[in-house]
Amino acid sequence: MSRRTVLATAAGGAGAAALAALWRGGSLAQVLNRVQGLTHTYEGVFSSERTRVAHLLRRAGFGASPQELDRLTGMGTAAATNALLNYQQTSNQQLEASLPGFDPTVTSNGGRQASALQAWWLTRMVGTARPLEEKMTLFWHGLLTSGLDKSGPGQLYQQNQLFRRTAMGNFDDLLKAVSKDPAMMVYLDTETNRNGKPNENYARELMELFTTGIGHYSEDDVRESARAFTGWTLGRGKQRDALTSTFVARYHDEGVKTFMGKTGTFTGDDIVDMLVPLRATAERLTTRLFSYFAYPNPEPEIVQHLADVFQKNGYNVGAVVKEILTMDAFYSPKAYRALVKSPTEYVAQTLRAVGATSVSAPAVAATGQMGQVLFYPPNVAGWPAGASWINSSTLLTRINFAAGVAQKAAPASTFKGLPGLIDTFIDGNVTPSTRDALTQAATGTGQIPVTLMYFVLATPEYQLN
Amino acid sequence: MFSRRDFLKQGLLPVFAGSAVPSVFANGLAASAADSPNTAPSNRVLVLVQLAGGNDGLNTVIPFQDATYHDARPTLRQDQGVLTLNNQLGLHPNLKALKAQWDAGQLAVVQGVGYPSPNLSHFASMSVWETANVKGGFGDGWLGRYLNYLDQVGESPNHTLEGVSAGSLVPPEMRSKTPVTALQSLRNFRLQKVNEHGTMVDVENPLMQFYGGFSKAGPAPYAAILDTTLQEALAASHGLQATDASYVAKATYPANSPIANSLKLVAETIVSGLGVRVAHVTLGGFDNHAREKPVHDKLLLDLDQALGAFMADMQGHGLADRILVMTWSEFGRRVNENGSAGTDHGTAAPMFLLGAPVKGGLYGEAPSLQSLDNGNLKFTTDFRSVYASVLQGYLNAPASDLLGGTFETLPLLKS
Repeated sequence: MSRRTVLATAAGGAGAAALAALWRGGSLAQVLNRVQGLTHTYEGVFSSERTRVAHLLRRAGFGASPQELDRLTGMGTAAATNALLNYQQTSNQQLEASLPGFDPTVTSNGGRQASALQAWWLTRMVGTARPLEEKMTLFWHGLLTSGLDKSGPGQLYQQNQLFRRTAMGNFDDLLKAVSKDPAMMVYLDTETNRNGKPNENYARELMELFTTGIGHYSEDDVRESARAFTGWTLGRGKQRDALTSTFVARYHDEGVKTFMGKTGTFTGDDIVDMLVPLRATAERLTTRLFSYFAYPNPEPEIVQHLADVFQKNGYNVGAVVKEILTMDAFYSPKAYRALVKSPTEYVAQTLRAVGATSVSAPAVAATGQMGQVLFYPPNVAGWPAGASWINSSTLLTRINFAAGVAQKAAPASTFKGLPGLIDTFIDGNVTPSTRDALTQAATGTGQIPVTLMYFVLATPEYQLN
Repeated sequence: MFSRRDFLKQGLLPVFAGSAVPSVFANGLAASAADSPNTAPSNRVLVLVQLAGGNDGLNTVIPFQDATYHDARPTLRQDQGVLTLNNQLGLHPNLKALKAQWDAGQLAVVQGVGYPSPNLSHFASMSVWETANVKGGFGDGWLGRYLNYLDQVGESPNHTLEGVSAGSLVPPEMRSKTPVTALQSLRNFRLQKVNEHGTMVDVENPLMQFYGGFSKAGPAPYAAILDTTLQEALAASHGLQATDASYVAKATYPANSPIANSLKLVAETIVSGLGVRVAHVTLGGFDNHAREKPVHDKLLLDLDQALGAFMADMQGHGLADRILVMTWSEFGRRVNENGSAGTDHGTAAPMFLLGAPVKGGLYGEAPSLQSLDNGNLKFTTDFRSVYASVLQGYLNAPASDLLGGTFETLPLLKS
């Protein structure tokens, strides 16, 4: 018997074993299809209002403390959804007042600035009164990537604020702003893209990753649109430090370009205006949004519906997000625990649930050991999601992080014993064998609050979102 | 409750109830005491070094006498201090350790490596190299297929550490049914006990129950993956904890160098006798569209110093005969530099293979700088020929089966 067979057998039911084998076989599409079909465990789970609201808060935010969950459950799913969506009406003054300061103009000590920036953002996720605003900011950071390997901390702070400001706005406006954003200009080299000396980096990734995806443009389109984006340069300061950008007419290639069959003296904004209306862009962006909030690999009808919503609303992202959070599919059994918590979600949700008001350096470092260093995506494609978050090293890091949190938080815990822990962190929905084992431990000799909290945070259920 | 030490003494983990399971663990440890000769295929290790972002091949192995090169690279050309391989070609001045390997007859330089209809997307081209399939996609990685093959023929050390990667993610070239371990540090790769007000609680058994129970309760998304991963993690951490104290580096690795840290971690894993067959490290930052020179110079310096230390470390541990290092990158760069003192995405580039098993020298044909395809080099050697040469000549594996086709092999290796 090979090790593989052993693992498959130990994995239990035949379906699970087959899935494990498929996954190990590396056929992502096949696995996603199978994952999509695996629902029977969760039939009826959304009949509880509290579970609906908890699911909503995990997906459209970073979870909740028991008090927050009580409050929003009391409002009901519809009102809670509206409150999340219309976050502009919610004051975030308490968070802003308590945040550690971050000064983007400080250019010395880049390493300390980078750590401060990471802690600043993670603290926002943990303490924000506008969870969807931070969740969408994280979405854009993972799609319109820039990273500390090239851009400076001050530039990334500024880009992060841009994402926050335009999180739910029009996609064309956002892309035009990002094209001139100093962090992006450094990360994908538009700052050096000059008339007569085009640099293809941004133009290529704009199409391959940010809009249509591969297969909808030619190498000539890459070369021609690179010319269109010439002219924008960084303002004062060194390359990594400059916080403004300016258009310098003499650096812009005013010549005629041929792009996707059209001919004209195009600028970068013109290119964005040609890419955003394409159906491929609408399908790609809405697929990504749905997969971020609901479940991976959405059905074609869902994608077409969301692409319609996107196009009929003037490329407004907020309209698509609202549609996703209110569609039946979002509360279908298939959506329940259909995502793996990203490292950022795992850490931020845990700290938010225990009522943390600040984020320690080890917590920031832990997200990195779990595979996600904020402001430092592995490459311009951002972080791969789903199963790629889980390997032996990252799973151990997650479980060990749970020990650290439990040792610190449990003694002062406001959770009402084991039922409260299970209720807060995993919807009161836990495998019977696990519940039995936990109950047995909880009723044994002596009090073990740390161990119980640890166990709940370390469950497989809690690794999922 | 049993302690981990008790489990080790008994040679089995009670949570693994199946009778065949203890061998998984036992074989992993036994591999360190294997009595086969050092150079037997079953002891050989392939270390893959990924130069991510697209390495500028023309400024790595430099055609310093070629007038076209000079014209194409007005600001980026390297013509001072090139480490000459012959009267036409030289290594970048920062590749001193590689040059020493060359002088010792232990560096093979394969020129003009690429594939038909090259894709200029980082991600599409990476997946071509990772899967050894010119259509790319999400299939098994080529090294994953090799690990599967070992499993099938019973040559596998049957241990989660036969494939290791430095970092937090498993690289796609190792993707397959066979588990691979992503390692960030040997010391931290363990399940911590929980401090319950001063009492240390061993939590391994309950966790196994939770994950096993969740997986058995029904085919929920990710349940099986989580369960198998936890088992792999615990098995690997037991293996590591049993051995990691013994390693002392026999070379000085450069400080503050992520690639050196990665290679040192690989060295530690190999020296600890954990049955490593394939290791993967990544050095990123080669996508030098602008201001390439200082960045690329530094990357090559870091690469060279890290490789120099790693090879010396392996030599110091008497393991040089069974270590082969191979570098790869998803593509080279455009022949003409762009207006940003950088280079855009290109195609063919050289690969390095180094170590005692290598028959040093130049292989393949240098691509012409005049006969270009849209400003890019035409490849002269298919990368799958290099893979086939390594699989067949070094790892003793059926290259055609693993690569899904027969590719000409190059005499890169001492058999």
